Amino acid sequence: MFDRDPEGVRIELRALTKHYPGQPAPAVDNVNLVIPAGELVVFVGPSGCGKTTTMKMINRLVEPTSGEIRIGGQDVLSLHPDELRRHIGYAIQQVGLFPHQTVGQNIALVPKLLGWPADRIAARVEELLALVHLDPAMFRDRYPRQLSGGQQQRVGVARALAADPPVMLMDEPFGATDPITREHLQNEFVKLQKQLRKTIIFVTHDFEEAIKLGDRIAVLKDRSHIAQYDTPANILANPADDYVAGFIGQDATLKRLALLRVADVPQEEARPGRELPRIAADATLREALDLMVAHGTDRCGTPSGVLTYATLCAAVGSSAVAREEVVAGDR
Amino acid sequence: MTAETLTVGKPRNPVRASGLRHLITPAAILIALTALYAWVGTLELDSIEQRSLNAAVILAKTVEHLRMTVIATALVVIIAIPLGIVASRAKNRLVTPLILTAGNLGQAVPCIGLLVLATFVLGVGFQTALVGLVAYAVLPVLRNTMVGLQQIDPALIEAARGMGMTKGQILRRVELKLAVPTILAGLRTALVLTVGVATLGAFVAAGGLGELIINGLKLNRLPVTIVGGVLTACIAFFIDWLGGLAENLLKPRGM
Repeated sequence: MFDRDPEGVRIELRALTKHYPGQPAPAVDNVNLVIPAGELVVFVGPSGCGKTTTMKMINRLVEPTSGEIRIGGQDVLSLHPDELRRHIGYAIQQVGLFPHQTVGQNIALVPKLLGWPADRIAARVEELLALVHLDPAMFRDRYPRQLSGGQQQRVGVARALAADPPVMLMDEPFGATDPITREHLQNEFVKLQKQLRKTIIFVTHDFEEAIKLGDRIAVLKDRSHIAQYDTPANILANPADDYVAGFIGQDATLKRLALLRVADVPQEEARPGRELPRIAADATLREALDLMVAHGTDRCGTPSGVLTYATLCAAVGSSAVAREEVVAGDR
Repeated sequence: MTAETLTVGKPRNPVRASGLRHLITPAAILIALTALYAWVGTLELDSIEQRSLNAAVILAKTVEHLRMTVIATALVVIIAIPLGIVASRAKNRLVTPLILTAGNLGQAVPCIGLLVLATFVLGVGFQTALVGLVAYAVLPVLRNTMVGLQQIDPALIEAARGMGMTKGQILRRVELKLAVPTILAGLRTALVLTVGVATLGAFVAAGGLGELIINGLKLNRLPVTIVGGVLTACIAFFIDWLGGLAENLLKPRGM
């Protein structure tokens, strides 16, 4: 349906507006946004800011009042809505698995609508269940009622991926799970997206989740006005205004440290002493800082050398270097 | 899968799980019928009673009664389920009260009065009785169809739309399937009502077990009335029992 280049498809929103009849102000007002192919863009904002409405206009669950939507260059508003939706993955917070159908039947839904042959559908169901880490033999014939919340969310994601759509819309798909399961699902999803490189619009009100998952974040305020649209690191480093800064919260620097991995920053090439705490290469700098503070030291050992407090400061662009020299001089 | 472990047993077979409970009704019916037969056997029947209480007449009246019930219920299904679907659609909010009022009216107007009025238009006979029965039994099926469709989790409908199902596909494959238990419950109520009300068919010469009851009363032959009444009650219980079985068998799996 959409012209795919190898990178995927890009989504363009131009002057997108939704004005519900009888309302004084539009719910979504003149949104202009380009979502690059293969990227995951998070819409984050308080409830009622129009982020979900904006997302739902892309698969036309909400019809725009005016404006233009292009997916891979194709004008979405000229397509038949039902046909369009079969080519866009859709996952929601309530999951919405059909209780009278088995897990397998739920996942097979869109491929069936698209008229795939039965053997191809069966193979795809197996593949997807394995992809979301559910044993096909065990789960295919179960009913949604027999699954835990986290398992249902996985099936929801698998169902959205079923027909291999180039574009996915996800509305807080991990919202209804407990914090531990949510973190687990998020981590898995990050890995999955690295593999799949779909163009994804992900809606959440949880800024932590946005930082964790997004290639880019669009911070939205009232009527879906875009307060800032940038990478998580840039938003944390340079919030556009007080509204964005307020959304980030007090610990912006810690959040930036959490975006960086130990392996990403330079380390002193020295054999770490026995007394130093050790940290893994794929741990975040925030975890490294936590370890340093916990051990009352300003350095910790990594597989390839020694990571210092000064490196952490440098990584987030602050000038603790002068102080570091004093500390080094004391030794 | 390490974070979430869940043990799931095989879903219990609902029919077998409550198998004994399901046998109580037919057993009670059998006992009632046997007792009735034994009691009538002890009576010295006069010629008037013999004319009503013989196998051929009782069988014929029972068949008439069942025929009336089944045809009326079939008509109710054809009328009430589509009306219930129409009434449950959000875009039809304006006609919903009209449909419900018509259904309520059918049940509120005394059936015997309706039968008399229908006689003026249609004359006496089978089709007149059907009008009264259908009017009386539409409401439970209509209402349950509406409620069954309206109580479906809106998230399911949204997910279905989001995946590109058409409105018709959503109605057939999701909404009606999930509403089956509620619709069947309404149908069961309608059937039982119809069996009872069908006795009034005797007033418009439509036959049925009502004829035994009325003849017995008119001719002051109590055994005839009792046989008609007990048989009607047994049929009502039997149909209710069948309805219960059907609900268990037809309800969607996984719920």
